[in-house]
Amino acid sequence: MMATYLEFIQQNEERDGVRFSWNVWPSSRLEATRMVVPLACLLTPLKERPDLPPVQYEPVLCSRPTCKAILNPLCQVDYRAKLWACNFCFQRNQFPPAYTGISEVNQPAELMPQFSTIEYVIQRGPPSPLIFLYVVDTCLEEDDLQALKESLQMSLSLLPPDALVGLITFGRMVQVHELSCEGISKSYVFRGTKDLTAKQIQDMLGLAKPAMPMQQARPGQPQEHPFISSRFLQPIHKIDMNLTDLLGELQRDPWPVTQGKRPLRSTGVALSIAVGLLEGTFPNMGARIMLFTGGPPTQGPGMVVGDELKVPIRSWHDIEKDNARFMKKAIKHYEMLANRTATNGHCIDIYACALDQTGLLEMKCCANITGGYMVMGDSFNTSLFKQTFQRIFSKDFNGDFRMAFGATLEVKTSRELKVAGAIGPCVSLNVKGPCVSENELGVGGTSHWKICGLDPTSTLGIYFEVVNQHNAPVPQGGRGAIQFVTQYQHSSTQRRIRVTTIARNWADAQSQLRHIEAAFDQEAAAVLMARLGVFRAESEEGPDVLRWLDRQLIRLCQKFGQYNKEDPTSFRLSDSFSLYPQFMFHLRRSPFLQVFNNSPDESSYYRHHFARQDLTQSLIMIQPILYSYSFHGPPEPVLLDSSSILADRILLMDTFFQIVIYLGETIAQWRKAGYQDMPEYENFKHLLQAPLDDAQEILQARFPMPRYINTEHGGSQARFLLSKVNPSQTHNNLYAWGQETGAPILTDDVSLQVFMDHLKKLAVSSAC
Amino acid sequence: VTRCAADLAEVEMAELYVKPGNKERGWNDPPQFSYGLQTQAGGLKRTPLTKRVAAPQDGSPRVPTSQTSPGLPPMGPPPPSSKTSRPPPVGSCPTSSVEPTNFSVTESETLLEDVLKPLEEALEDCRGHTKKQVCDDISRRLTLLQEQWAVGKLSVPVKKRMALLVQELSRHQWDAADDIHRSLMVDHVTEVSQWMVGVKRLIAEKRNLSSEEEANEEKSTATAEEDQMVPGVQEAP
Repeated sequence: MMATYLEFIQQNEERDGVRFSWNVWPSSRLEATRMVVPLACLLTPLKERPDLPPVQYEPVLCSRPTCKAILNPLCQVDYRAKLWACNFCFQRNQFPPAYTGISEVNQPAELMPQFSTIEYVIQRGPPSPLIFLYVVDTCLEEDDLQALKESLQMSLSLLPPDALVGLITFGRMVQVHELSCEGISKSYVFRGTKDLTAKQIQDMLGLAKPAMPMQQARPGQPQEHPFISSRFLQPIHKIDMNLTDLLGELQRDPWPVTQGKRPLRSTGVALSIAVGLLEGTFPNMGARIMLFTGGPPTQGPGMVVGDELKVPIRSWHDIEKDNARFMKKAIKHYEMLANRTATNGHCIDIYACALDQTGLLEMKCCANITGGYMVMGDSFNTSLFKQTFQRIFSKDFNGDFRMAFGATLEVKTSRELKVAGAIGPCVSLNVKGPCVSENELGVGGTSHWKICGLDPTSTLGIYFEVVNQHNAPVPQGGRGAIQFVTQYQHSSTQRRIRVTTIARNWADAQSQLRHIEAAFDQEAAAVLMARLGVFRAESEEGPDVLRWLDRQLIRLCQKFGQYNKEDPTSFRLSDSFSLYPQFMFHLRRSPFLQVFNNSPDESSYYRHHFARQDLTQSLIMIQPILYSYSFHGPPEPVLLDSSSILADRILLMDTFFQIVIYLGETIAQWRKAGYQDMPEYENFKHLLQAPLDDAQEILQARFPMPRYINTEHGGSQARFLLSKVNPSQTHNNLYAWGQETGAPILTDDVSLQVFMDHLKKLAVSSAC
Repeated sequence: VTRCAADLAEVEMAELYVKPGNKERGWNDPPQFSYGLQTQAGGLKRTPLTKRVAAPQDGSPRVPTSQTSPGLPPMGPPPPSSKTSRPPPVGSCPTSSVEPTNFSVTESETLLEDVLKPLEEALEDCRGHTKKQVCDDISRRLTLLQEQWAVGKLSVPVKKRMALLVQELSRHQWDAADDIHRSLMVDHVTEVSQWMVGVKRLIAEKRNLSSEEEANEEKSTATAEEDQMVPGVQEAP
């Protein structure tokens, strides 16, 4: 049974890009709330499907105006009468004339069960170009600016030749560069202290009317460029040479910075102008604003810290003490910009490279709600930045860019269900309807969300509510259904619609609890609960969130554990729940919920990635992966536990943000003695090489590039490993174990064992 | 012959290499992968390292499967090769075994004129079709290339890959030439960024020119594009 469910779950993820917390659904509202973990799914709307060529026609919609669900394999079809019944609202619909030839043996793809996910190419409307607006901080060290300039020049070779590019530079002033083929460069200069309305910006730049021609381009002539570009946004293939020179000639901000001062950096106004420029020229067309910054905004709207170096940028401590002077105002400024950007269908990336904080805490909403990227590095002159940036422009199996724009995600449910909200790189479109729940989980109150920038791994958590009443059970064998409709601009500039329709069985929780239990996806559940926790942590105090997570875990164990009352030793969880408590244990310790040892910027950065990655990557973030290499056999996964740190092992740990290779004591000594260079110990050389090769594989695929740590027993960087493993052996209990294996950790943190002991006690207690 | 083989290897190395990150500017900066390695990554996936072990339900770690500690005192030597088989990495095809595509460069040293001349000829072909300003801009960058090559500012890998680029250009292999241009921009941006954009533009202009010519020759046999349908669908729109 287990194996088949695991296969079922994997198959569904591969085909439909969904992972549900529950794969058999409790059939009443009351029973569903007793399951503790909500009915929810992780949805990767544009999951790469090399085996799924898009169809070149448009979807057929249900004719009921409040439904408009798309024809799918779950619909009942009367082939003789050429009618289909909507599986969501039961409306009977006539097939359109083009479908007259259909029969049982001649079905359109969208009716075949294997096309539960299908993608349509929409032929209507003019193609719109991809737009990239670079917003570049020039208050950088020479070395950094040079590296950044080169990366930007390089990017012109990676972008599609038809893409439009623009350039804004900023320091104390903000410069909008006019791009022309004529080799005369001209720019508009703005003061960095004064915020301007969209109207003012557009007037000052002379953008009286949208650059897009109002009439649609004639179809059938895609070779011509049907769009007029503005002076500030030009097709790369026309201005690549001049833009390369312009970038090459960029100088550091010329305004003198006196001792003890920070440079004056007008990030807030620069972003505001970028947003206004695109708003006035290319609303509702795929566009990325790419902000490259090397320090905090220090003047004008959106400033995060003053220019006096002796006053440090806010810390968690300052924030707790309500001592972060500029924070609230700055956040307000960037939220206003982020919301406008989302309304325009554009996205904002932030590439922040500096040793100190740059204000990601204040600016995070720009990337978070528009689906932009957030990248944090120490310097633009690092491989971490350079390669991460290159990977933005990576291509898929078809040679298409792995980026999509301006998506709308619509969720439709069968009537026993409602949608309660979404957590991910999206904003609400505030579309009320019959399938919208009154209770919100994440961003709720709507059945439509906008995702302005997304890639094939962008993943949303979607939360549902079972609304069927207890006394009105779902008929035996009945199924509930959900349809996800994602309309988006493909990187080839086509409009496309991806439709995924899924169904799951209902079960009566009284009599069929076993079925529900066996179909629990603990990995999906852990990530979905973690997203809820992190979503809360962004608005509430840390301890409250931990308490909430603990309470949920205890309730889940009470519901699904097997135990005798008041007897903790009798407590057991079935296989489908066995990993869940340890996921929660590691989540509690993770940087997504613990701010200790992290700056506010780092917390924002970690949480940004946690809220957009797919299940596999999210789970790595929650509980890092640990592999052990030895002479005793092939590499094997081992417990993320201090007992796994052994003298004759090499460990490879992946925390998503860091890849750590750790040599045990003996291995390190052997290496020091140089055995790897002796021909008779060639296998030792191979042993040392194996984790390096595996690490390389991870490094080559990961976005963003992780840090790469090579360390050994006793090395100062071993702390990256030691801080992640479960401290099963600490300086407090080492001798109690009576073993000399493993590595004791100097910590007073609670170990998994203590955590589990408490959990069991609470779970079996009748007082709870 | 051996010389040629070595050169060939060098050209390939320029495509597929990993170099260390910038540890001075970023703590634990990851290694940097060449364009060739980055772009081929897709096809060669190994078993991903994503497995986890479940902790026993009491949360206590298992006593580690200890064939280990007793047998091996800290400073004894590792088991010699004959005794144990080599531990394989988790996946089956390590990157080092990747076979690079064959390149047909045989010269032992790339000569400036071998690269520059075809580029200049290509530019001459474009004159009259492409705007004068653009041609002049390309020409300026070719001059820059020439100067930097002449004073020894260009490295061997850049020169070799430029020779390959020119070969592809003269064979009208636009995509291949463009791809080499991209690999040079990614792997050697500091060296090439100032003039490479001229080469890039030249490839684009030459491609346009030849497709225009082809179009004129072939007199467009109306190609009504067939709708791409999913197998099994015949009648529906």
